[in-house]
Amino acid sequence: MEVSREIYWNVGHVVVLPMYLFAFAAIAVFIWGFYRRTSTYRLGKSLNRFDHLPQRFWLVARNALVQLRVLKVRLPGSLHSLFFWGFGVLFIGTLLVMAQSDFFDLLFHIKFLQGGFYEFFSLALDLAGLVALLMLGGLLVRRFIVRPKGLETIRDDYLVHALLFAILLTGFVIEGVRMAVTEIGSNPDLARFSPVGYLFAEAFRGLSASQLESLHKVLWWVHFFLAVGFIAAIPFTKLRHIFTATANYFFSDLSPKGTLATIDLEDESAEQFGAATVSDLTWKDIFDADACTSCKRCQDRCPAWSTDKPLSPMKVVQQIGELAFSAPEANLCETVTSDVLWSCTTCRACQEICPVSIEHVNKIIEMRRNLSLMEGAFAGDEVRTAINNFEVNGNPFGLAYASRGEWAEGLDVQLMEEGADVDILYFAGCYASFDQRNQEVARSFVKICNSAGVKVGILGKQEKCCGEPARKLGNEYLYQTMAQENIETIKVYGWRVRQIVTTCPHCYNTLARDYQDLGLTIPVEHSTTFIARLLQEGRLTLTPEPFEFTYHDSCYLGRYMDIFDQPRAVLAAAGGRLSEMDKSGPESFCCGGGGGRILADETLGRRINEERVHMAEATSAPLLVSNCPFCLTMFEDGIKTAGCEERLRAGDLAEIVAARLATTSTEETGP
Amino acid sequence: MKILVCIKQVPDMESRFKPDGAGLWFSEQDLAFRVNEYDEYAVEEAVQLREQLGDAVDLTVLSIGPDRVVEALKKVLAMGCDRAVHVQDPQAALKDPWQIAAIIAAFARDKGFELIFTGMQSQDRGSAQVGVALAEQLGIPSVTTIVAFDYADGAVTVKRELEGGIKGVVKLSAPALLTCQSGLNVPRYPTLPNIMKAKRKELLTVPVAELLHEEALATTASFHPPAKKGGGIVLEGDVAEMADQLIAILKERTTVLR
Repeated sequence: MEVSREIYWNVGHVVVLPMYLFAFAAIAVFIWGFYRRTSTYRLGKSLNRFDHLPQRFWLVARNALVQLRVLKVRLPGSLHSLFFWGFGVLFIGTLLVMAQSDFFDLLFHIKFLQGGFYEFFSLALDLAGLVALLMLGGLLVRRFIVRPKGLETIRDDYLVHALLFAILLTGFVIEGVRMAVTEIGSNPDLARFSPVGYLFAEAFRGLSASQLESLHKVLWWVHFFLAVGFIAAIPFTKLRHIFTATANYFFSDLSPKGTLATIDLEDESAEQFGAATVSDLTWKDIFDADACTSCKRCQDRCPAWSTDKPLSPMKVVQQIGELAFSAPEANLCETVTSDVLWSCTTCRACQEICPVSIEHVNKIIEMRRNLSLMEGAFAGDEVRTAINNFEVNGNPFGLAYASRGEWAEGLDVQLMEEGADVDILYFAGCYASFDQRNQEVARSFVKICNSAGVKVGILGKQEKCCGEPARKLGNEYLYQTMAQENIETIKVYGWRVRQIVTTCPHCYNTLARDYQDLGLTIPVEHSTTFIARLLQEGRLTLTPEPFEFTYHDSCYLGRYMDIFDQPRAVLAAAGGRLSEMDKSGPESFCCGGGGGRILADETLGRRINEERVHMAEATSAPLLVSNCPFCLTMFEDGIKTAGCEERLRAGDLAEIVAARLATTSTEETGP
Repeated sequence: MKILVCIKQVPDMESRFKPDGAGLWFSEQDLAFRVNEYDEYAVEEAVQLREQLGDAVDLTVLSIGPDRVVEALKKVLAMGCDRAVHVQDPQAALKDPWQIAAIIAAFARDKGFELIFTGMQSQDRGSAQVGVALAEQLGIPSVTTIVAFDYADGAVTVKRELEGGIKGVVKLSAPALLTCQSGLNVPRYPTLPNIMKAKRKELLTVPVAELLHEEALATTASFHPPAKKGGGIVLEGDVAEMADQLIAILKERTTVLR
């Protein structure tokens, strides 16, 4: 028996011409459908996302073909990916049929769909179809029956589900009907390689050969038109994400995470700063909206949305798309609303989870830049006061700048201006300098350094806020002013500053990454990794003392800098037993203090810090450890306002370590 | 219409003040400076009037002091003033209010300013005299501590703060001088385009000797911190211990528990 099947069985080669005409028509519609969108993408400002091509293709392979980002959320991700692979195999199978029948066989009389390869081909396609059908069923149950909270179902979803189901089902029916005539009974050995088709064939066994042939003819055309309809529908429905998401992986931001465009403040011709309309954003920002599939993974993880604030990162991205396509001249910030824009903590949870690599945070900051730099707007009167305080005293509290170094009195710390020779420059930051609770962290860090024989220098009253909160609130001018002053101050000490260490992840991100744009090239490290290295190198020894704790990954150490393991290792070395919160590591839940929100009153919705404190409480660990002054401040507040003082305390990693220094006398006890 | 706003650059009040070498004023070491709060209300009101009347208004801002006051002038230029005058005087802090007013009057006399806005007082010296003394020397009417302002066709209507929360309404016609109290407005935050524009605005520097021809009416005899009195005590630590400490203090130093 021949191990193959007759291509165009029953319908005959007469279908080839009309088939290709319709197929090309569908492809033409597809191209036109996408082409007409490109003029909207072009509304945005230019941005080069065509550099580092190998890396970009690699991202496409990992995320489109292997679906790594989609699979980050296990269950719906698996359904999607298995469906994608199943449907992809069917698509490749169809291409192979076309390639043999209408090219190799036609021109060179070469047939490869036969023998063992045909058996493999037949089985692979049959199972791929089954997998696709089952996964589609799973997705259908999720969308229309389980209906996860926040999942919005629109016309496209009904259409796409119906279309895909119809394509898969008619495919199996056609196969079954053909097999009922050509394989069942006459070629049972081959039928074994189409188990699902076999079941369908069994179902049609009762019909006569002529009935089967008529049914096959009709269904063949139905299946064909559904398939070309699918291709034509792609640019006009949510299906467009097949291509826009793939392209979005290619167009990924390859700069270090958290990189913001540094505005050229010397450019006298600039009249607009930040984004007032969609055309002030980049083309990629508009394209992002076209890649969005409304999967709401970002919204689920947004600390603002989770606490009943009006911000949904997904909706912001979609609003940009809606305006770009319908009213590009409209005021973007008014459409999105300032309440939404000021609610963002820039925690990056949205961006980290997005299956299609959308960049949410910088869009929000660009809009904030418009509010701040063009309209002189603030997130609240308390923020206005804090910004004024930065301008006068270089700290948000409005405390005298000259008292900035006073926390270090009595400690073994050198003032840089006194000409000390030091191993590290400790950039203390505003909170460790002025906030009583965080001064403990600064003192702890100095004690750790002393114990390891590391000579510490500080800038004292010469130090100013690194500018991070101002920058994230959109005030690039104030950020650059303070940043330039800090950089000039540090550069005066020349080679004497070999390394900068911060205890604040916000200072760390800003000095290590953002200051590079302004000319600071000295290595910068966060105290956590610095301490981890001192331990590893044996320069620091601890006397471990058992304690139970839960660890909060601050956004700017975790998601922004991928520092997850070192803090856990340090705390384990100190004798800690960790109970993880549900939301930890890259999925950590913001304390509420990022994005300049530390300066603002939380007037909308519930309090983010209380939400996080309750998550910590749920682990039953009595100690919530973080390593960020904003987190510590938010948690100290949250523990009080949520009434958890009896069950939970907040501490900083440096305090834990400082209390367990091998040389420390037993009288000193840390948290 | 020409408007003049007078501003002073003052130290941030959170700073720690120490007498200077001569013991006549505070030392400027380790001080951060800012625009006097009340003068910001004056600037904002003038800028709002400028917005109301359009380009017919020419808004001059003046400040007396050492070179550091240029920072303050730049800030208010960015808020919307048209031109700035820096009366250069490193010894401004040693002049009395009458002399300061005389300097401004000498500058303003032949300029035809229809309205002059000042703060109701400075945050550092707090004499609240420069505005009224300036009006006196120019021979124009003045109203102090205004909390609302309206201008229409040369007629000025202001609300001023009286004791006990009572407000009084005063009507007068330009030229006039007004000293501004908090509550009048919320001073705007300069936008970046305006900060950049301000860099190109006219900034005239006049040495104080060209304008000052008056002797001081009052001189500062001494500047010194008040004698230290017993401060408050903050108890910290364990609640039980703090309670014991409190009882001990009440027993030792008061008659409450006797």
